[in-house]
Amino acid sequence: MKIEIADNKGTKVIAVSGDIDMYTSPDLRKELMHLVQKKVSPLYVDFKGVSYIDSSGIATFVEGLKAMMTYGGRLKFIGIPAHIMEIFCFAKLDRVFEMYGSFSDACNS
Amino acid sequence: MKEYAAITVPSNPRYLSVIRTVTATMAEMYGMAGKDIEDVKLAVDEACSNVIKHAYEGDTGQRIVVKFVFRKGFEVVIEDSGIKARPEYIQGRSLEDVRPGGLGIHFIKRVFDVFAFDEKKKEGNRLRLIRYRRGDDEDRNSRQ
Repeated sequence: MKIEIADNKGTKVIAVSGDIDMYTSPDLRKELMHLVQKKVSPLYVDFKGVSYIDSSGIATFVEGLKAMMTYGGRLKFIGIPAHIMEIFCFAKLDRVFEMYGSFSDACNS
Repeated sequence: MKEYAAITVPSNPRYLSVIRTVTATMAEMYGMAGKDIEDVKLAVDEACSNVIKHAYEGDTGQRIVVKFVFRKGFEVVIEDSGIKARPEYIQGRSLEDVRPGGLGIHFIKRVFDVFAFDEKKKEGNRLRLIRYRRGDDEDRNSRQ
């Protein structure tokens, strides 16, 4: 898994690629919670390069979202591949997370 | 002769990718395709993650054996020598209750028709997962 954090005029985008699993999710959690502690909002997560996610990866995002909700922050997912989206839908989390096809869609919402 | 394939990996999460790769290959060999392979791969990964978390309590120096058998269906047997699971306490969270954790068991049970611990195993655990043949599984074995 690779994590790249882009800062475009104060807009933070976490671009994740590769597999998010029990081995890699602690690194993701560290980066995510670092931004959450700074109360970054909105915070974008680019999923286009994600090839796999398990329950530990999902738990990381649920934890991040819950923490963001305490300060009214918004966590926006971008470009979720179909097979990853199916997992979010099965877990009924498509109703919980904000999900957009593109960065511009997410910015305009 | 009963045919099977097995791998033994350390109980270190870095080897979960190896388990996923082998699971996907075995599922394809069995005749699954596309989403079914992805679902089975996730389910076996979750079961092995549970071994690391619960049976070994994070100890990365133990062993996990994953055996694949094509018998009544696609059968995966996962063995460890850790703390005995208590099946009566294994249940996922309600999908309506949004909080971290508690999803893994749902990912396993949505794919496999049988989720059963072998009570005969005296030490450690032997989890048997069986996914019976579906109509859209290609019977590649019969072609070979």
